[in-house]
Amino acid sequence: MVMGIIFKTVNYTYQPSTPFEQKALKNISVEIPTGSYTAVIGHTGSGKSTFLQHLNGLLRPSSGEIVIGKQIITPETKNKELGELRKHVGIVFQFPEAQLFEETVLKDIAFAPKNFGKNEEEATAIARQMARQVGLKEELLLKSPFELSGGQMRRVAIAGILAMEPEILVLDEPTAGLDPKGRLEMMEMFKELKEKQNLTVILVTHQMDDVANYADNVIVLENGRLIANGSPKKIFAQPKWLIEHHLALPKAGEFAVNFEKKTGYKFETLPLTESDLASQIVKMVHGGVQNG
Amino acid sequence: MVDMIEIKNLSFKYSQQDGQTFNDFNLKIKQGEWLAIIGHNGSGKSTLARLIDGLLAPSEGAIFIDGIKLTPENVWDVRSKIGMVFQNPDNQFVGANVEEDVAFGLENAAVSREQMLVRVKESLQRVNMWEFASHEPARLSGGQKQRVALAGVIALRPKIIILDEATSMLDPEGRKAVLDIIRELNHKEKLTVISITHDIDEASKAQRVVVLDDGKLIQDDKPEKVFSRGSDLVKIGLEPPFSEKLKGELESLGLVVPEDYLTEEGMINWLWELFSRQ
Repeated sequence: MVMGIIFKTVNYTYQPSTPFEQKALKNISVEIPTGSYTAVIGHTGSGKSTFLQHLNGLLRPSSGEIVIGKQIITPETKNKELGELRKHVGIVFQFPEAQLFEETVLKDIAFAPKNFGKNEEEATAIARQMARQVGLKEELLLKSPFELSGGQMRRVAIAGILAMEPEILVLDEPTAGLDPKGRLEMMEMFKELKEKQNLTVILVTHQMDDVANYADNVIVLENGRLIANGSPKKIFAQPKWLIEHHLALPKAGEFAVNFEKKTGYKFETLPLTESDLASQIVKMVHGGVQNG
Repeated sequence: MVDMIEIKNLSFKYSQQDGQTFNDFNLKIKQGEWLAIIGHNGSGKSTLARLIDGLLAPSEGAIFIDGIKLTPENVWDVRSKIGMVFQNPDNQFVGANVEEDVAFGLENAAVSREQMLVRVKESLQRVNMWEFASHEPARLSGGQKQRVALAGVIALRPKIIILDEATSMLDPEGRKAVLDIIRELNHKEKLTVISITHDIDEASKAQRVVVLDDGKLIQDDKPEKVFSRGSDLVKIGLEPPFSEKLKGELESLGLVVPEDYLTEEGMINWLWELFSRQ
């Protein structure tokens, strides 16, 4: 199924008409293309998590509408109309391991498919398959999820979301608290899942290196407004604009900017990943240095 | 200088079934030292912090804090010398506003109201959060929350601060703000700092880095010595410094690179020289 997401002048207000009224999303119009890997960046309070909760109807807009596949969500949409949508959009919240509850890893992963109408046997089969997908070894499946390490528990929680067989996978800071090796493995796993299962991935992150290395589309929020949308190349093209909005460059870009400042040499295009930076440097060493 | 913490022949395991987490482990930390403990998830870093804070008790061996041997009888007294800041800023709030949150620990320690008012203000000023005194925690950024958590800790005037991945969920600005304050406390007040971290920037602030692997101390050295392990760092739970990663990439493209650890600045200078030699 084609599951593009379109926000049309979406506003969201918390506790409207009370002294605590707070506008969290302001006139957001944006499209998240099917099959894209979209990063959502912005500071605490920028509206990221409010935005995210609109993606499967946990929150409905105060005004405006959201189109996700065939489903249109308006302020009037009833909760019971959203059941179908929630099978298609899987959200992995921060520290998802806190939501594990079943006796065994396998039962925990099988919970969602059972809940969405699969029988015991089908649900178990799906759970086994998803456990493999996230790299959980067979011998862990009958253990209690609470006996596992933090990284393994997180994999169980993610497998539980994947077991819903969503078309859209939303990830809220999925690597927080993991060590660098775990972080890299997890990010590579999402990349592989996306390619194998043709998922649309939406990643909320403040790691600009992850944005440069994995995303092909970026949404920047500030104080509930959309302030930029485009490819990482476009978003990171103006270091000055980034500083004004308290956003950082990926490390490779930062290094390149510092290098240019100090030496006067110029890169052809601002490199955003280590490999791009390295190959540009090698090219420059073998001749073709531009002294600006 | 005096040893602030001495860990002597420490052995520890969580339960009968599990293997030994620590076996005859020794470590000394001097007063006023900033020590970073690094290691992959599950290497024993947080366990060690909990042993030092008396939240866990050793099976064998002893831990001395400020010259006093930690025992079940004196653990509450000794613990008052240690302040801990944890990873998730959202799990550490108890007060309805910033001021009350900082006061909470002081109330528990039966500090008089007059003293309390003074110390709350002082601590919040130290972390540059006094103007937020009456704010609700929910409206603060992650970095601001961690600074409040830190204020709650320094209000109790500890001699040791343990940062257990305290900056790992912060954005670069928030991380810098927290580390700048820690550096000041370390310099001016000779606070002993132990930071458990996967972050190279945070580890590079330390005077000494200890590497743990399955409860064993596998390296104890200056940061730049530890960082020159290059891509091997990932195995011991540290994100390699950017300059080391870049060096690896350049090497794989056939460039001859220096063996020594280079800071980013050093890397720029080396490349500059290479370019101008053409």
